[in-house]
Amino acid sequence: MMRAINVGTASSTSVGRVDGMLRIGWLPDGLPMETPVTIVRGPEDGHVLWIHGCVHGNEYCGTFTIHKFLRDLEPGQLRGAVVALPALNITAFQKNQRMSPFEGFHGGDLNRCFPGKPEGTVTEQMAFHIYNPLREYATHFVDFHTALTEDTRWALFAPAGNEVAESMARAFGFRHTLPAPLDILGGSAMITAAKNGIPSLIVEAGGIGPAFSPETVEDAAERLGNVLRRLHMLPGPVTDHGAMTFFSNFAWVNTTRGGLFRPAVKCGQPVEKGDVVGRYYDLHGELVEEGRAPASGIVLAINNGPLMPGGEILVHIGLEPRAV
Amino acid sequence: METIEIGTAVSRTPGIAKGFLDIGQLPDGRPMQAPVQIVRGEAEGPTLWLHGCVHGNEYCGTYLIHEALRSLSPRALKGTVVALPVLNITAFERNQRMSPFELYGGGDLNRCFPGKADGTVTQQVAHAIYTQLKRHADYLIDFHTAMTADVRWALFANVPGEVGRKGHDIARAFGYRSTLPAPVDILPGSAMMVAAHDGIPAFIVEAGGKGAAFTDEIVSDGAERLRNVMRHLGMLAGTVTDYGRQWHFSNFAWVHSTKGGLFQRAVKCGDRIEAGSVIGHYFDLHGRPAGEAKAPNAGIVLAIHAGPLMASGETLIHIGLDPREV
Repeated sequence: MMRAINVGTASSTSVGRVDGMLRIGWLPDGLPMETPVTIVRGPEDGHVLWIHGCVHGNEYCGTFTIHKFLRDLEPGQLRGAVVALPALNITAFQKNQRMSPFEGFHGGDLNRCFPGKPEGTVTEQMAFHIYNPLREYATHFVDFHTALTEDTRWALFAPAGNEVAESMARAFGFRHTLPAPLDILGGSAMITAAKNGIPSLIVEAGGIGPAFSPETVEDAAERLGNVLRRLHMLPGPVTDHGAMTFFSNFAWVNTTRGGLFRPAVKCGQPVEKGDVVGRYYDLHGELVEEGRAPASGIVLAINNGPLMPGGEILVHIGLEPRAV
Repeated sequence: METIEIGTAVSRTPGIAKGFLDIGQLPDGRPMQAPVQIVRGEAEGPTLWLHGCVHGNEYCGTYLIHEALRSLSPRALKGTVVALPVLNITAFERNQRMSPFELYGGGDLNRCFPGKADGTVTQQVAHAIYTQLKRHADYLIDFHTAMTADVRWALFANVPGEVGRKGHDIARAFGYRSTLPAPVDILPGSAMMVAAHDGIPAFIVEAGGKGAAFTDEIVSDGAERLRNVMRHLGMLAGTVTDYGRQWHFSNFAWVHSTKGGLFQRAVKCGDRIEAGSVIGHYFDLHGRPAGEAKAPNAGIVLAIHAGPLMASGETLIHIGLDPREV
């Protein structure tokens, strides 16, 4: 008899795939706010890999990556179990926006609310209902995000220096990877899980909304399969993705001016402090200012414009790249 | 020279005049204003009216007009260009099609022309714009986008007589392969149709997709095609580029989805399809296949939903019908 895995209405006690829904809150019309859950179980007990996507509702590339991975996954080949929640922030997901439309208070970024609060704001309650089963079942965790543009490809793992987490990052194999110090991204599922002893990986692949390609989805699903091979959850040789570039930290730069904006750099490109990363124009089309990199490093994400108010994310820079 | 005054943009001599046109009032009492630029050539000639972002999230047109304006010199220009690159300013700021202040049915600005001085917010915006357009424009080019970055098609108001014929010639000079000579009974209330009925040859460009879904290349290419139209109209010197043969359509089919879900398109803009061709795939929340979307008509794909999510009733596909090579 296998140990039961119960996440909402998805209840897995034997080999195969089950789908269900997990209630993570209540909608204002009294209907339950439910997020989809899939559990795939192999013939033997083993690791439980928890994967989720769309913590930020408009980061659809992760949902499609998880879906593609699940469609290709043969339960008979699997050792252990995969628990997948591909569309976590369901009300934001429906509205093509980062945060829930029902969050009326400051602090609505779900990935800053873990482990959540049962009597907090709508987003804090969602985090609570998600994190309970994650903590109960997960032995390893992969969280799919996007940045802003289609060419985004980087990853973070936690805890930095943890051998298992680093092996997951290497098996996923995005060249640009941040071993995340535990004092950044407070309240993220990754850091919270890492502090609870669960080796964790965040993948940043593709951009918000429709800004991703079927090729990125296929590639990311294949790399996820390689993580499972590395964890001996799937059979087969582990692909070696080659040398990686690790960072000491990232600079998350907000713009202090608004306007029409066109980027001048691409993801993965090295920049020096002071380099032009984009250009601002006024309503008449006149160039009014150049946006410059405040630090040297590798471009992890860049705002695609075409419009930007003051305070939006201009650029993410991976600091002090070193080949490893 | 005759004075051209559009809001605070006032042009009396050759050169560039910039300003803003009041198109409504914001709820905090400040004016709702759209930017205006008038480029006046040294030689007399026709007045070409350009506008973009009638739908606030169709930014490619704004960038295209801006790039064309930056390349114009009053010394080299014959006639006048009047450009309003950001018409629906409150929708533009919010990255959405319609004004956030429009609370009633009928908030699509491109169905509200010629507008109403005492109508809803969008009807009043249309009135403020169209009053100026009708007074000054000899030709109208209106820049739109569809949904994905690979969109490239155009349409002109195919009204009888010289106005329709001039629209046709502008479409040839712009040179997008997929072009619809628009029957007079479609798109009522669009700036294009209303202007054509008022005797102004009128042309719509659909280039790129909404929001950030466009490239610098499509902007530069479109700006060059716009300059080619100006060469054709005798407003710029130089040889008119022949962009070659076009597909002209009898009409378009504007197809709404009757189901919702996660959606991935299976065709690109410009593809030829048959009635019944699979144009996309639906999936449920668990990633299981949930059906195929099929084309109801044969023709050329003008626009297709980008996904990745679609509610029932969204625009699934635009199909150019009965393509014939001309």
